[in-house]
Amino acid sequence: MMNRPATLGACLTIAAAFVVSVSLRAADKLLPSETITPDQLAFFEKRIRPVLAAKCYKCHSAEAEKVKGGLLLDTRDGIRLGGATGHAVEPGDLKGSLLIAALRGEKKDLLMPPKEKLPPEVIADFEKWILMGAPDPRDGKPKLAKKPDASEGKNFWAFQPVQPVSVPKVNDSKWPASDIDRFVLAKLEQNKLKPVADADAHTLIRRLYFDLLGIPPTPAEVDAFVRESHGTHASTRSYEALVDRLLASPQFGERWGRHWLDVARYAESSGKERNYLYTQAWRYRDYVIDAINADKPYDQFIREQVAGDLLPAKNAAERNERLIATGFLAMGPKGFNERNREQFVMDNVDEQIDVTTRAVMAVTVSCARCHDHKFDPISTKDYYAVAGIFKSTDIYYGTGDGAAGKNRQPGKLLPLAKDASFKEVKPASAVPAASTPQAEPEAIKPSLLTPQQEAQLAKLAQGNPKLAERLRSLTPEQKALALARFQGGAGAAKAAKAGKGAKKATRAVESPGERTELGDGERVIMGVLDGRVADCPIYVRGELQEKGPVIPRGFVAVLNPSGSVQQIPASQSGRLELAQWLTSPQNPLTARVMANRVWLHLFGEGIVASADNFGATGDRPTHPELLDFLAGRLVANQWSVKKLVREVVLSRTYRLSAAHDTKNFATDPDNSLYWRANQRRLDAESIRDAVLAVSGRLDLEPPRSSPVTALGDMDIGRNRNAVLKADSRKRSVYLPIVRDMVPDVLDLFDFAEPSLVVANRDVTTVPSQALFMLNSPFIHENSTALAKRVQTAASDDRARITSAYLTALSRPPTPVELARGESYLKKLSAEPGCSPETAWTTFCQAFIASAEFRYIK
Amino acid sequence: MSTNRPFDCSQVQPLVLTRRDMLKGAGAGFGYLAFAGLCAEAAAPYQSPLLPKAPHFTPKAKRIIFLAMQGGPSHLDTFDYKPKLITDAGKAGDKGKLVAPVAEFKQRGQSGLWISDAFSKVAEHADDICLLRGMTTDIPNHPQAFVQMHTGSARFVRPSMGAWTLYGLGTENQNLPGFITIAAPVALGGAQNYGSAFLPASFQGTRIDQPAGNASAKPAKGNAAMATEGIGNIRNPRLSEKAQREQLDLVQSMNRDLLTGGANPEVEGVIQSYELAFRMQAEIPKVMDFRKESAATLQSYGIGGGPTEGFGKQCLMARRFAEAGVRFIEVCHQGWDHHNGLKTRLNGSSAAVDQPIAALLADLKRRDMLKDTLVIWGGEFGRTPTNGSADGRGHNAKGYTMWMAGGGVKGGYSHGATDDHGGTAVEDKTHVHDMHATALHLLGLDHEKLTYRYAGRDFRLTDVHGHVAQKVIA
Repeated sequence: MMNRPATLGACLTIAAAFVVSVSLRAADKLLPSETITPDQLAFFEKRIRPVLAAKCYKCHSAEAEKVKGGLLLDTRDGIRLGGATGHAVEPGDLKGSLLIAALRGEKKDLLMPPKEKLPPEVIADFEKWILMGAPDPRDGKPKLAKKPDASEGKNFWAFQPVQPVSVPKVNDSKWPASDIDRFVLAKLEQNKLKPVADADAHTLIRRLYFDLLGIPPTPAEVDAFVRESHGTHASTRSYEALVDRLLASPQFGERWGRHWLDVARYAESSGKERNYLYTQAWRYRDYVIDAINADKPYDQFIREQVAGDLLPAKNAAERNERLIATGFLAMGPKGFNERNREQFVMDNVDEQIDVTTRAVMAVTVSCARCHDHKFDPISTKDYYAVAGIFKSTDIYYGTGDGAAGKNRQPGKLLPLAKDASFKEVKPASAVPAASTPQAEPEAIKPSLLTPQQEAQLAKLAQGNPKLAERLRSLTPEQKALALARFQGGAGAAKAAKAGKGAKKATRAVESPGERTELGDGERVIMGVLDGRVADCPIYVRGELQEKGPVIPRGFVAVLNPSGSVQQIPASQSGRLELAQWLTSPQNPLTARVMANRVWLHLFGEGIVASADNFGATGDRPTHPELLDFLAGRLVANQWSVKKLVREVVLSRTYRLSAAHDTKNFATDPDNSLYWRANQRRLDAESIRDAVLAVSGRLDLEPPRSSPVTALGDMDIGRNRNAVLKADSRKRSVYLPIVRDMVPDVLDLFDFAEPSLVVANRDVTTVPSQALFMLNSPFIHENSTALAKRVQTAASDDRARITSAYLTALSRPPTPVELARGESYLKKLSAEPGCSPETAWTTFCQAFIASAEFRYIK
Repeated sequence: MSTNRPFDCSQVQPLVLTRRDMLKGAGAGFGYLAFAGLCAEAAAPYQSPLLPKAPHFTPKAKRIIFLAMQGGPSHLDTFDYKPKLITDAGKAGDKGKLVAPVAEFKQRGQSGLWISDAFSKVAEHADDICLLRGMTTDIPNHPQAFVQMHTGSARFVRPSMGAWTLYGLGTENQNLPGFITIAAPVALGGAQNYGSAFLPASFQGTRIDQPAGNASAKPAKGNAAMATEGIGNIRNPRLSEKAQREQLDLVQSMNRDLLTGGANPEVEGVIQSYELAFRMQAEIPKVMDFRKESAATLQSYGIGGGPTEGFGKQCLMARRFAEAGVRFIEVCHQGWDHHNGLKTRLNGSSAAVDQPIAALLADLKRRDMLKDTLVIWGGEFGRTPTNGSADGRGHNAKGYTMWMAGGGVKGGYSHGATDDHGGTAVEDKTHVHDMHATALHLLGLDHEKLTYRYAGRDFRLTDVHGHVAQKVIA
């Protein structure tokens, strides 16, 4: 197999037509070029090529209007790889070459060309050609019918490196509070629009609280802020102080962590046809919340999730944290009813590729798994090069021991490292110093083994340098697993006596994770470790039976043309290198995608509207320079998400009011130029948390566990007696998120489907939401509590009504509203069977049910 | 703001509200009029995602009633007549001995379709039935096959057939859910089978569990095994209708305050959703209340005791929902996995559903609704001609029977065929994707054009597969 360095041009021929738009350096060339003798060439050119061109290209070439059966016969790669039904040509193998069967019309539905059997001598030529090894001079990659425009691909905005941008000049130099504002104002001025007035203090504090914390401010907080602000508009100083206070609040991580959990398709069960609980998934949830609160640099945050097990760690706590982070790769939907192990593994690999590429880079690679219509072997090669990385990775998810035979693919959990059993070890050679620029030089790996056990393990590899190298690359968990695997199982001693010890040792060290029992440590971590490291073959059209050539592990390089590409060590999966590459400052997507998400969550619309799709089929940025500016700021500030959020919310653009302006509206009805603030509906969690907050019942203490953990390991779909408690008063982010059983209160208001990567939630308005607000016990309970609260807050109705407005809507009522409230209470109290308490409860419920409660301006 | 991107505005018909509708709910009346006044300025006025939408071409069917027989009912003992299986009974077949049908087949109706006595009452409608005897699916395991029957994919989480239907057509009666699933299993994919996956959540099915006359509806994805808040939201046990209307008027007046200062389709949407909800909570119990059905009707469905009681109620409810304008109704009957005790158990299962299904067909016909209601019957796969290990039949994904009736299909017609013993489809094979394509076609939807852009790709119910079985269309 030849390895060529990545060349941008080679990849870009296909870039434009596909979201995939990637190529792999290692997989750049699928089939080696062949030496063809002049005679063979002559035979091909005279007897084979003309027939292919005349009889086949119409449906099976780049010129075809619609390529049939995913088969392209106009290149060597295409004809060898074949199409939907298998390899068209296997050199030297008539039986394995479907082309021959098709020409002969051996199968009922498979005569080619259709309805036209070629003369026997022509078929004989093809047979002869295949038997001589199918010599074929037609280099190059099979191409789709529609030829992608290479120049368009090259210039596609999302694949350009993030460039330093100069801040534009604006006419109104007084309005901008920051560079962000200058980008926005410049566009407004180009379109002859003027921003509306700033938001008043009441509106602004409510907006900021929901955006940063996901809960409303208390009346006292509103009052203090309004007073500090001296008047209607917030003063810069008091506003900055407020922003900093909220960024430091632990509730910030609970809100912004949830944004990440949407794209990480976080869930506490497998979903799909059997719904097994992931009892330890909550640790990942808490890891995310803690990481956001600690303002963990975003690049490190990504590296830990993709390769935390391969990163060095200073102590057991750090080690555990990084292992838990890899839960990102472990908690995808899984089909536990799958009988075929390889299918199960490849489905998980597919899911991991999908979540990693879409969550981090907002590009879709996983569609290259099969590519039924848009067959493109290069992107299929790309896919299987990345697939090799994940196939070399074992997943630990801890579901079902296969009792009653219902879980056909049970899995274990990883042990927690403990300080007590901690022995300082030199960093493993497996972590190349160059590839971990952020890695602490002093870092050491904790060991789960005693020195004696370490020695025992080292003995296994004596006299086998290859095995010794592999052993050095193992993580502490893998070492423990390897030793356990070697020692475990009946007849271990017997095997050693019979001289089978060496084989067993090799097996144990090469794939420590299989069929083992752990000794020490609590097994509570969902995550991944490197497993049996191997490259992955192409599975033609995703079919396991149809194995194509083996593709060296690699990763997407076209997006990083100038960056150095790390070699993947033979003994490792390559996740570490993948993680480095994903978070390289040269990666054109990672920073842009995150900056865009920050904007999305603060304005309700991304600069790129398709926040999970930056590919050719996605939307284009409305403000490309601003996006690059924000992405640049993110990287420049050591990938601090908090600093980016701070910079955006301090902009004057963020602080605009939602006021209407007829002239602006006529020009830009969608507000895509940001001449005012968008009115935005609260997301499901904020609605529920706000209901609990205003009723005084929100419990802000994080639970540090989950009701799912209490239920234990089970298939909840089949366990009718299991009651999943979703009635806590904790914040919504802590509610149990079991796939296909999302609590109604969240589901009704467009919660992110936890089986899918969701960057942009839907916002729907349907009657079932109204029914929930009018009739549900949850709303009734909290309305009752809110009513009690306002009734005790004051003694006369007018003061109570005022208190209700301040508590529920963060603003005082107008005189008209006061009068309306009084008249309502009077009217309802007169209804038969309606006590004053009932009247107050229904009054308070009206606040919770109102559109104003649900929308921030 | 709203991310209801799938809606092609040109396809959305304007919301039709009569003057009476407007006045009936004071809130809606004022809100809607105010909104209409602002409409000239509004870029994208609020449109309920569930409003009726024009199909791609003239439809044959307006709605679907899907009778899902979970477990894999045997085609060989019901709708696929294989005389050779009788003569060869006892001989060795693939993985076991060939088992003769446990119910006697007879020719039925003018068309002479062969149907067994296990469905003797359904057989009376043979001339309205189109048998799909060449069905195939991919995986002979219940969970995967059941999910695939509903979503087209066992491997990925995808929207259900009902969700796609709502996405394509909306629904006729805005006071009722557009997609209702009755007695859906909690396991076997659970809510996936009526979920919306990447389609907006408003297209998911509403699950109804109680077969009784006054069943409560709860939103989809609620789980019987779960204490959630969504159950029973259709009724308010604490307030009289009048008091609740007072309360709602207060809510709506607060909402209308937000309408000053420019168009506000989001708030208009909230205002409308409350009026719809208020009407819905009056209408749903009415639809589910059987008291106005005649004794003869109840009796025809087998309601009044006996094995037909449960499924009879569910079928009657399906008819009532269909009549009220619900677009997609599924009724599930479980327990068709007859690995052993075939004769007793198959006859037990069919005894529970035969009369209710026959009554449903007759009832629809009497109301002249069968012509535009597509009834689909079938399970996730069929069964093997051989016995496996016990006195039953194994799972068979390679060939089985489903049937359709009404909705523009040929009656008294048999499409496709299995081999001599009924093990494998050999003629006019109809994959689940083809069944989906055909059902959508009958609704006036081109399965290749009914797409939704997700993650950079246009998705379909049929993925990249599916052919309309043209021969079954009348």
